[in-house]
Amino acid sequence: MTPLPRPDRAPEPGQPAVLVRDVDMDFGSGPLAVAGASFALARGRFLTILGPSGSGKTTLLRIIAGFQQPTRGEIRIGGQAVTATAPHRRSIGMVFQKLALFPHMTAAENVAFPLKMRRHDPATIPGKVERYLDLVRLGGLGGRRIHELSGGQQQRVAIARALVFEPELLLLDEPLAALDRKLREEMQLEFRRIQKELGVTTINVTHDQREALVVSDEIIVMDHGRIQQHARPVEMYRLPANPFVAGFVGVSTFLEGRRTATGLDAGGAACAGTPVGAIPEGAPVQGAIRAEQIRIEADPARLAGCDTILPGIVRDTIFEGERLLYLVEAPALGLALQVYHHDPEEFALFDAGAEVSLGWNARDLLIFNRQDGRDGR
Amino acid sequence: MTTAGQRLAIWSLVWISILILSAPTVVVLGASVTSGNMIAFPPEGFSLKWYQKIAMARDLRQAFGRSLVVATVCTLVALPVGTLAGIALSRYRLRFANALQVYLLLPFTVPLIGSGIGLMLVFGEWRGLGSLWPVGVACAVINLPFLVWSVSSSATLLDPDLEHAAANCGAGRVQTFLHVTLPAVMPGVITGSLLMFILAMNEFLVSLLLTDARTVTLPVQIYNSIRSIITPDLAAVSVVFIVIAGAAIAALDRLVGLEIFLKSK
Repeated sequence: MTPLPRPDRAPEPGQPAVLVRDVDMDFGSGPLAVAGASFALARGRFLTILGPSGSGKTTLLRIIAGFQQPTRGEIRIGGQAVTATAPHRRSIGMVFQKLALFPHMTAAENVAFPLKMRRHDPATIPGKVERYLDLVRLGGLGGRRIHELSGGQQQRVAIARALVFEPELLLLDEPLAALDRKLREEMQLEFRRIQKELGVTTINVTHDQREALVVSDEIIVMDHGRIQQHARPVEMYRLPANPFVAGFVGVSTFLEGRRTATGLDAGGAACAGTPVGAIPEGAPVQGAIRAEQIRIEADPARLAGCDTILPGIVRDTIFEGERLLYLVEAPALGLALQVYHHDPEEFALFDAGAEVSLGWNARDLLIFNRQDGRDGR
Repeated sequence: MTTAGQRLAIWSLVWISILILSAPTVVVLGASVTSGNMIAFPPEGFSLKWYQKIAMARDLRQAFGRSLVVATVCTLVALPVGTLAGIALSRYRLRFANALQVYLLLPFTVPLIGSGIGLMLVFGEWRGLGSLWPVGVACAVINLPFLVWSVSSSATLLDPDLEHAAANCGAGRVQTFLHVTLPAVMPGVITGSLLMFILAMNEFLVSLLLTDARTVTLPVQIYNSIRSIITPDLAAVSVVFIVIAGAAIAALDRLVGLEIFLKSK
C-alpha cells in the first residue's frame, strides 16, 4: 500500500478566535506540565482538549482562562494578546468542574452577577437574565436557591452564568465528569445545541473520548503535556497521528514488529497494513487495529477478501449491550486481540475456547514508526 | 433491625445522658425559684423574688452591663482578624500555615491562668488595667481560634474555584471578596461571632486577673458573692446566663441553621 499522508497538525483556521503559541508551563517539579503547546481555533468552533489525567489539558485551559501564567509562550483571544491580562479583564465565560456557583445567591442572582460586575446597564439586566435562563430551559426557576436545584439544573445555571455576558470564548472544565451517564449524555447534547445556537467559540476539556467525539468540531489529544494531534473527530478516529492517539480514541489492539513491503512482520506472522508516513523497510514499528475492523468467523472461507487472515481461540466474550467484545488469542502473534461484533442476530456466537478465524484489510491496520510518537500502551 | 433488648439499652443510655447533662441546669433553675432563703433543691415553694432581687441589685446590674461591653469589644476586635485569618487559612496556601495551626491549638494546651497572667503583665505595662477594653481584647486574643475555626470550616466547604468563577464573571479581587467570598462564609462568621460573644460574656479567669473593684464583670461578681454567702439570687443570675446562651443558640438556628455550628471543627 502507498503510505498515507501524515495527518494535518491543525485544520485551516480563518481569523483565529483563540491562538495559543509555544506555551510551556513549568511548575518547578518534574517535567513540564505543558510543553510547546500551539494551536489556533476559528471563531464559532467547538474544540475539545482530550487526554488522560495529568496530560496537562486542565493546566492549558487554566492558562487560557488566566488563572495561571505560562512560563513561556503567548495567548491571543480575538487577535489581542492577553497573556499578561488578569482573568477578570478577559472576555471569557467558564463552566467549572464543580460548577462554583455562588451558594448565597439565587439562580437568577448567579446569572446576573457577571452583568453587574461588567457594568451592564442595570435596566437591561433582568431581561438578559431571563433570556439566558430560558435558553438553558430554566425559565421560572430563577428565584430558587442553588441548593434547591437538582444537579442537572445547577449545570444549566452555570452555563447561563458563563454565557450571559456574551463572552468571546466559553471554557468548559470537565463540568460533566461528575454526572451519571444518562444525564451526562443529555448535557453533552445540550452543550452542543446551545453552542450552535449562540455560535460562541468553545474550548472543552475532558478525559471522555466519547464526549469528545460527540460534541466537538475539532479535537486536540494531549499526553505528557504535549499536543499529540489536532484534527476533526472523524479524522482523529480514522487517522490517528501516533499509537497513543490510536489507543486513547477508540479501542485498538497493538502489534509489535518490523516494517515489510506489505505491512509488518510480527515475529514471523505477516500482517497486511498501511504505514502512517514514510517508514523504511526493516524499521521497528507498532501496528494498531481497531476492534470493530477485525472480522471474526468460524469458517475462514467467509473471510475471502481480507488481506490478512489468522486463526484464533476465543478467550472471553463480554456483552456490552449494543455489541459483543471478544478477546481472541492469536497464537501466530502471541497476543490477544480485541474484536467487536455488532450483529445482534448472531450474538454469543462463540463461547470461550471456540476456534475462529480473524481477518482484516490492509487499510485498517495502521503502522507507526517506533522512533517517533509515543507508545500506544 | 434492632431487637427490643437493643432498643431498651440504647434508649436507657440516651436518657441517662440527657439526665446527667441537664442535671446542673435543672438544679439551678429549680433553686432560683425557691421561696425560702436558702439555696436548695428541690425548691421550697415557688417565687420569683430572687429574680426581683437581682433585677434591683445595682452591683449585679452594673456587672452585667460591663460583661456586655467586654463581650462586644471582644467580638468587634476578633471579627475582622478571625474572619480574614479563617479565610486565608482555608483558601490560600500560606507560608506559615503550620505555625498558625499550632497557634490554633493553644487554647487547649496553655492553661488560661498562664495566658491570663501574661496578659495582665502586658496590659499593666501599657497602663491599661482599670478600664474594660483590655478585658475584651484579652478575651478576643484567647478565644480567637474558635472564630478562626468556625470561618475556615465554612470556607473549606466552598468550591475551590469559587474565586476563579468570580474573576471569570469580571469581578476584581476586592469585589470578589466583598460579593462572593465573604457572603459565602457568612454562616461561619455569624456562628463564630456568637460563640465569641458568649465566651467573652462567660469568661471568668482572665476577667478575674484583669479587673479591679471598679470593673468587675458578671462572672467575677458572682464569684465574689459566693465567697461571702450563697443565696438563691446567685442561682437566678446563673439562670440569666443560661437564658442568654439559649437565646444565642436560637438566634444561630434562625440565622444559619445549626448544622454548620455542629460541623465546625
